Amino acid sequence: MKIENTKAQMRKGVLEFCILSVLKDEDAYVAEILDTLKNAKLLVVEGTIYPLLTRLKNAGLLSYRWEESTSGPPRKYYGLTETGKLFLKELNTTWSELHNAVTIVTSQKTTKNE
Amino acid sequence: MNKTVNINLAGIFFHIDEDAYLKLQRYLEAIKRSFTDSQGRSEIIADIEARIAELFNERVQNDKQVIGIKQVDDVIAIMGQPEDYIVDDEIFEDEPQPVRPKKTGKKQKLFRDPDNAYVGGVSSGLAHYFGIDAIWIRLAWILLIFGLGTGVLLYILLWILVPEAKTTAEKIMMTGEPVNISNIEKKIKDGFENVTETVGKAAKNVTDSVTNAAKNVDLKKQSNNIKSSSQTFFDAVSNFIMFFVKLFAKFIGILLIFVGAATLITLIIGLLSVGVVDIIHIPGLDMVEIANTGNTPIWLVSIFTFFAVGIPFFFLFYLGLKILITNLKSIGNFAKFTLLGLWLISVIALVVIGVRQASEHAYDESFNQKVELPVTANDTLTVKMVSSDSFHSSFNRNNGFKIKHNEAGEKVIYSTDINIRVKSTTENTAKLIIEKHADGSDYDIALQRAKNIVYTYEFRNNTLYLNDHLTTHVKNKFSDQEVYVYLYLPENAVVYFSQSTKSFLSYYRNSNNLVSRELTNHYIKINAEESECLDCPEEDDFEIEVHTPKLKINDDGIEITTDGNEIKIDDEGVKATSETVRVNINSDGIEIDSDENN
Repeated sequence: MKIENTKAQMRKGVLEFCILSVLKDEDAYVAEILDTLKNAKLLVVEGTIYPLLTRLKNAGLLSYRWEESTSGPPRKYYGLTETGKLFLKELNTTWSELHNAVTIVTSQKTTKNE
Repeated sequence: MNKTVNINLAGIFFHIDEDAYLKLQRYLEAIKRSFTDSQGRSEIIADIEARIAELFNERVQNDKQVIGIKQVDDVIAIMGQPEDYIVDDEIFEDEPQPVRPKKTGKKQKLFRDPDNAYVGGVSSGLAHYFGIDAIWIRLAWILLIFGLGTGVLLYILLWILVPEAKTTAEKIMMTGEPVNISNIEKKIKDGFENVTETVGKAAKNVTDSVTNAAKNVDLKKQSNNIKSSSQTFFDAVSNFIMFFVKLFAKFIGILLIFVGAATLITLIIGLLSVGVVDIIHIPGLDMVEIANTGNTPIWLVSIFTFFAVGIPFFFLFYLGLKILITNLKSIGNFAKFTLLGLWLISVIALVVIGVRQASEHAYDESFNQKVELPVTANDTLTVKMVSSDSFHSSFNRNNGFKIKHNEAGEKVIYSTDINIRVKSTTENTAKLIIEKHADGSDYDIALQRAKNIVYTYEFRNNTLYLNDHLTTHVKNKFSDQEVYVYLYLPENAVVYFSQSTKSFLSYYRNSNNLVSRELTNHYIKINAEESECLDCPEEDDFEIEVHTPKLKINDDGIEITTDGNEIKIDDEGVKATSETVRVNINSDGIEIDSDENN
């Protein structure tokens, strides 16, 4: 079992949740989503995001519209659909539960070890 | 100095170095292969291309700047390797699992190998495909080339139809796992295991989801889960069915290739032996030429036949190849329509030629030759068939024809289509009418051909010697030339047909023909409109034939058998046998035997 794979999988597991979260307040195009995710060090290479976006769009969680760009090709602006919003809400709950659970488990371990 | 290429990436124009362009192309190809259509491949690729265009745009200061290999490397570093695109699938287990790209990468395809090519790389490509050394494939080609040259055709077809392995990815696909018997077995086994595993897993998923749903309050989410699990289940079932459908399709493909190739090969051999031989005039084949009354060149007919029959079978062959080899190149619409057109032209041409050939036989004309024979009533005429010395042969009599050379050394058509009919006449002397028949496309040609028939006879010592064959010059073609010999005999004349005439006579005896086959070797007396056999064996007035286990009476004699006693009278004599005594009377005398001597 490679540590790299586990790390990548952990990161990718929450990636879907994070993409939806980025789009929570306002629509954004790919480069903007990528900037946010890359700044948070959640993403190393950009390629990963494209199949994810298509998948979320096909699942009806995201929709997009075209917008002309002053430099470069027209941009796809992604936004949450109603289903997407509900989905995100549910994921938020799950995430805080998971976060709590992980904190409890990991901190317990350290106290025991001491 | 570097050559540049102009590219259009997501609607934006770029100058790019050729090597950089090739690298980018390979990169995009590799990514394309990472996805399946069900994942929305074309959309993903469009998005990626748009992003790459954006990244290039950031790196280009002005319109004149060219994108080099460095910029491409930069972009690839940002976007990530193809592997980075595909790992996602495993973490979304509720999604129906598409065919894993890993698997498609492993799948081997048939390509031509330009690196190890002698001619077109077909052999080395096949060698990779079957996992054997190319030398064996090449040996097989050589054998096939000597074996009637069919190898050349097959090689050229494969050369045209199998794509060349150009990119590294294609080369990897080409050299991948060899398809040999043990691997085929393994593949089938893997296929089975895969299918059963997925079915099992899907079934487990369904039950899991159901129990989970029962436990869990969040019904909506779970129902989604059930739905997707059952989807996986049906996917697995359809995979299972597809597996067998594919197996069956491969079988059909092999069958089609065999049928197509065999027919094409036969046709080519046929074309070579008839068509080409006709052009270079090999003796012996002029038979076909002479039967061909329509004067259409044989090689033309052969070529038309070749296309009319060969093209449909070529398509069968192509279909078979297409089923077996998935990455086969299309032969292109141009080629398809050309072949279709060629086929239609050939069929129409053959119909026209056929009609023309048939019209050659539209008229059947005859030319009569009448001779008086010094045969009067009460004379006896003997009829014999003779064969000319120069044509002596064991040629079976039928309606066919042969090419022979006559005394003058000319080529002639030789036929034994001679028919003899016997009639009665009220005149005092006999007469002989020789009627020569031939077909032709109009009256004149038919008559001319009939006149050109050479048929001779001889009359001496009250014996009529008829030739058993007719001849005519080859330029007249074989157009059903035949000769009817009508022999009119005065009443009360006697005629004797020798054994040699038997096959030239009719089977039937009636008022139009007084002598039939069964009357040969007999003296026949001619009466008005009927004939009488003078020496035919008298038919028995009555006949007794008894055949029981104890009593037998027939032409051989009489045989009576009782328990232990037997009496037999036949040509050998009289033989009587009781349990103890035997009596034998024959030409030697009388013999009595007894077992008991008291």
